[in-house]
Amino acid sequence: MRIYNSESEETLLARSLLKDWRGEGFLSEEQYQRMEQETVCDLRRTNIFLRLVLFLFTLLIVCAGAGMFLAEGKTTGVFLLLFAAASYAGAEFAVSEARLYRYGIEEALVVCSVGFLCLGLQSTLLSGHSYSLAKGVIGSLVPATGAIFSLWIWRRFGLSYAFLAAMIFVVFLPGHWTSSQSAQHLMVVILYAAGLAGVVAVRPRHRFNYLNDRYSLVEAFLWLGIYLAINLQLSSLTQLRHWWGVPLASIEFSRPFYWTTWVLIWCLPPAILARGVRRKDRYVIAVGALTATLTLVTNKSYLDWPRHSWDPMLLGILFMGIALFIQRWLVSGPGGIRRGFTATRLSGKDKQWMNAGSFVLGQLSPQLIPPSAQAGGLDVKFGGGDSGGGGASSDF
Amino acid sequence: MYLPFLENEDFMNILTRLELWRKDGTISAEQHVHLAGLSRGEPFSFFFELNVLLYAGVLAFVAGLGWTVSTWSKQLGDVLILTTLLAVLVVCFWYCFSRAPAWSPAETPAPNLIFDYVLYLGSLTWSVGLAYLETRFQILSGQWDLYLLLTAGLFFFLSYYFDNRFVLSLALAALAGWFGITISHWPSHQDDVYRQCALSYSMLIGAAGVLLERHGLKPHFVATYLNVAANVLFWALLSGVFLQESNGAWFLALLVACGASLAWGLKRRQFAFVAYAAVYGYIGASFILLRGARDFIGVLGYFVITGFIMVGGLVVIARRFAREM
Repeated sequence: MRIYNSESEETLLARSLLKDWRGEGFLSEEQYQRMEQETVCDLRRTNIFLRLVLFLFTLLIVCAGAGMFLAEGKTTGVFLLLFAAASYAGAEFAVSEARLYRYGIEEALVVCSVGFLCLGLQSTLLSGHSYSLAKGVIGSLVPATGAIFSLWIWRRFGLSYAFLAAMIFVVFLPGHWTSSQSAQHLMVVILYAAGLAGVVAVRPRHRFNYLNDRYSLVEAFLWLGIYLAINLQLSSLTQLRHWWGVPLASIEFSRPFYWTTWVLIWCLPPAILARGVRRKDRYVIAVGALTATLTLVTNKSYLDWPRHSWDPMLLGILFMGIALFIQRWLVSGPGGIRRGFTATRLSGKDKQWMNAGSFVLGQLSPQLIPPSAQAGGLDVKFGGGDSGGGGASSDF
Repeated sequence: MYLPFLENEDFMNILTRLELWRKDGTISAEQHVHLAGLSRGEPFSFFFELNVLLYAGVLAFVAGLGWTVSTWSKQLGDVLILTTLLAVLVVCFWYCFSRAPAWSPAETPAPNLIFDYVLYLGSLTWSVGLAYLETRFQILSGQWDLYLLLTAGLFFFLSYYFDNRFVLSLALAALAGWFGITISHWPSHQDDVYRQCALSYSMLIGAAGVLLERHGLKPHFVATYLNVAANVLFWALLSGVFLQESNGAWFLALLVACGASLAWGLKRRQFAFVAYAAVYGYIGASFILLRGARDFIGVLGYFVITGFIMVGGLVVIARRFAREM
């Protein structure tokens, strides 16, 4: 079912680990050379930057090629479906013949195949039909097919973002089945929870192989999806539908449902964090921390309490306090380790991420530097601020 | 032979490989224990997560600080606000100067996890304080460019003294702001002036980065300099190419820059520069070639053909120079 055989993928993981361990000094150069010779892999990979550029240009070729046919004014839906098939066949060929692995080219082809399939179905099934038909079961065929095909892509090619795409397609499904907002949220949660149950059941078999990371990421996506569907203040569903043209003002929830979701957004983050820590799962821990932050940020909106200008300061102090506490607690353990956890860097990848992050984030955060000057308004004045409104009426 | 962790799979996972390497003497028993532990996540490192938490904490704190200062300045009063900002600043800089390791022109690791973030907090607080001082008291009569120059100077010093990339990025951004605001005072055609300003800025920081690297002064900073310089340079050149008239020279300059970026990227195995050359060069060349094109099918055909050429060229580069991740 998978297009890459397990041996090759496991070998790639081994090579990646060996490279990391050599960088950290856990292996000598001689050891590394010897072990590397024993982990030869026939898959072709490339650098992340070239992968991105190859992805972009392949996308350009396929879209322009499709555009050439469609501009002729032919039967659009059929041509799109044919292009979907051709793109998918191209991706299969690129992997089976050229042995491309995360090369950008095959990824762009599968992304195009999903896009063309959905557009083709939309055009074939719904062109000329009434709005009620488009809203009904037939209308749900497009997102359902998109979700199933994305899941197939994820399973076949191992691309984690294909799973994310499937989750996004799922968001559009309940809108075709019911008009109740609460029911729609609930359906999305149930679908994600079913997926989560499946992943949780499968994961233990792959604890120590290359699939562990893949399932870890998928589990993290599902936890995040469930949380976003539950947290009504983030309005993942309402916002998406707003882009679809549904006015936000028309969306209201019953009080029991509203307050149940409020309780759940407080219960979910600790549960996710606990699972992540227990399984030592980096992605799940990250989602646990993210959802905890989102709960803190959206709590006041839930309770309709006023926001204050010092709220971010308190959040910042909380973050720094937690980081310091954990760091000190870990460092004070024997050998800097407590219960199998450490604050010491063990992988060169951490440093690479930090360097990339410091460059990108360092370019973004200077927006804090003389904001008024950047806005071009030098006639800024401080003062004012009314209590009770979070200072919203103040001038600056 | 018994191979552990092979229960359900027909392939060797990393634990099995390590076991085999131990048995054939490639790695020692101690190494095997250590590496097998790492493969199983024992111990599990929170290094990255703690860094992200500290970074987010500093950013949230400074954002709240700026918001509070701007919203409640009248109620809190200048003395309280300035005292608070000064206190944060003094504590941060005292902490950093008192715990800084001996200075070295080479890469110097931070003495502890929070060190870099304390410096970052101090630097951002400095920015908030300076913005408050000027908007409230107009000490330099609205001369924001001087503030930015002063800030850039301070941040460059701090980044080199403490070996901090976050602050280096702030310094580069502050310097860019200085260039932009200074030029905006000039009575001239804005677009042209901004383009020249961007070119000067990118040339200056690009040259500075390379020179500092050659002199062995924090050579690991060069990537930050060159990435910023390359992006600003390409944006400036592209905006020149997009001019309706007299854009030939700009296009020529773009081609030269793309060649230089490509050569640098291949020589140094820094493929971000290869990507810059490919993307910016393609956009500029396509604009020139397609300008005035009326045939929609022809335009799409151009994208298909040139897209294939670009993919082919990049695949050749990838196969020759960038096989590994």
